[in-house]
Amino acid sequence: MNCYETLFVVKPTLTAEEIEGQIARVKAIIAEEGGELKATDDMGMRRLAYPIEKQERGYYTVVYYTAPAELVGELERQLRYNEEILRFMTVKYTNKKELAVFDKMVEAANKKPAAEKAEAPAAAQEEAPAESEAPAEEAAAEKSEA
Amino acid sequence: MAERRKFKKRYCRYCEQKVDFIDYKDLQMLKFSLSERYKIMPRRLTGNCKKHQEMVTAAIKRARQTALIPYIVDRKRVVENPFELIK
Repeated sequence: MNCYETLFVVKPTLTAEEIEGQIARVKAIIAEEGGELKATDDMGMRRLAYPIEKQERGYYTVVYYTAPAELVGELERQLRYNEEILRFMTVKYTNKKELAVFDKMVEAANKKPAAEKAEAPAAAQEEAPAESEAPAEEAAAEKSEA
Repeated sequence: MAERRKFKKRYCRYCEQKVDFIDYKDLQMLKFSLSERYKIMPRRLTGNCKKHQEMVTAAIKRARQTALIPYIVDRKRVVENPFELIK
């Protein structure tokens, strides 16, 4: 069992649920092949530094896991076939120093979710038409008045 | 000359912070070793030690592959504040 980290970028044209689905799919592959998921870090919708497949933005997700070496090949094969994935990269953490950093990153990613969850819907709302945001603002205004 | 003066005091920033491993997702860490055009700055200008220069090089190349930082910034795609965009 080795420690791995896989970053993948999902197409921004998908809806929030579809993006969730893609992330769930990656997690399912890891679970099926006998890997153990340590943490997931949602970096959210980001601007790409250069266009990939004519897309300017992408939804970044990082998964940290321990797994047998065969899993990585299978996971990468599936990611390659998947047309909704713009880019992916797997990094292996081997020596002591790297493993210490790996543990730290897992911890940081596990601590993050509370804050991330608050951000994620906000990012999703950006995609939605402005109409949905306006009522939210009104609701907030009403609350402050009350 | 102006650029060289910026790096006059030569010491390894990463050694100073006792960095063991440079994560390619940590762009703040990489920023120091990148030029305005996103080239990797040479050791003679940044003062990085060999160990950390190798680490940072690997991290920058990984970040480029995952579109976190651009490979090139050419005349057609010059942006006013390149580092602002990444944040």
